[in-house]
Amino acid sequence: MRGIGAKSMAVAAVVVAISACTTTNGGTASSPSTMPAMGTSQTKAAGLRAGLNNLLREHVYLAGAATGAALAGRDAEFKAAAAALDANSVAVAGAIGSVYGAGAEQAFLPLWRRHIGFVVDYTVGVATNDRGKQDRAVNDLIGYTQDFGAFLQSANPNLPKAVVADLVKHHVVTLKAVIDAQGTKDPVKAFTAIRAAAEHMQMIADPLAEAIVKQFPDRFRG
Amino acid sequence: MRYVVPLAAVAVWLFADLATADAPTVAIQLFQFAPSPVAVEAGARVTWTNRDDIEHTVTAGEPDRRTGRFDLRLPGPGASESVTFTERGVYPYFCDRHRSMRGEIRVN
Repeated sequence: MRGIGAKSMAVAAVVVAISACTTTNGGTASSPSTMPAMGTSQTKAAGLRAGLNNLLREHVYLAGAATGAALAGRDAEFKAAAAALDANSVAVAGAIGSVYGAGAEQAFLPLWRRHIGFVVDYTVGVATNDRGKQDRAVNDLIGYTQDFGAFLQSANPNLPKAVVADLVKHHVVTLKAVIDAQGTKDPVKAFTAIRAAAEHMQMIADPLAEAIVKQFPDRFRG
Repeated sequence: MRYVVPLAAVAVWLFADLATADAPTVAIQLFQFAPSPVAVEAGARVTWTNRDDIEHTVTAGEPDRRTGRFDLRLPGPGASESVTFTERGVYPYFCDRHRSMRGEIRVN
């Protein structure tokens, strides 16, 4: 089921991308009479779901790029990846703000950045072979899942804190596997792990999109 | 006799209004203190109520400069704590568990 869902999302993303290209590149968009019925993939709800999936998967790939560069000692690459990762964080917060307002966006961004700080701590622990630092970072990340769950539950009662916390915990575990593989200089394992970590983000993005649509049916109708 | 009910209603409205002015409340929801800042008169009792399903604190000062005036723990949804402000001044506060959460009480 997960594989089918991922493929469906990929197809939806491609259709959205193609639609955007044909509309912006020289006005080649089809008129309603010539355009085949494309139905649900062009609804606001589908856009929300695809957008959240894109942002959260990008989060994983950029995080993996940053930790990989850091562990390999490629400083300039690390800084560039970290900057891109932070731009992604701002975009994720913007997505939250687009639904729940500027106050929620401002509250969400530091909360989200906090978990990235803990990931940095863990990476430093791996780089320095400091088991204690690694354990503290994992504990901080596990604690963070409760905060994240509480935030989303407060924003949307359709997102139970415990469920969200468990999903984010799995994000922590899958990203940890990426960093561990990078730390052991095993690129095959690292890239396999990063694909798994990115795929998992659909498990967060899809229910998040579904809960938002359920909460605001009028805003995502059609 | 016919004025009794309207007068009573006015009295209820007046006292309710005074109670609101004298006992402002701050909701802690979605990792925010709202409203903030809050302006009150000296002697006012401000109440914070946690609506998030996580512990928050209301800690006087700023993370790097705590004043020690108050440090309230609100462990979960529905938890409520109050502080009476007797002296004029500006009182910043924050959540010690989520330090980006900031608020301010202005006592006139």
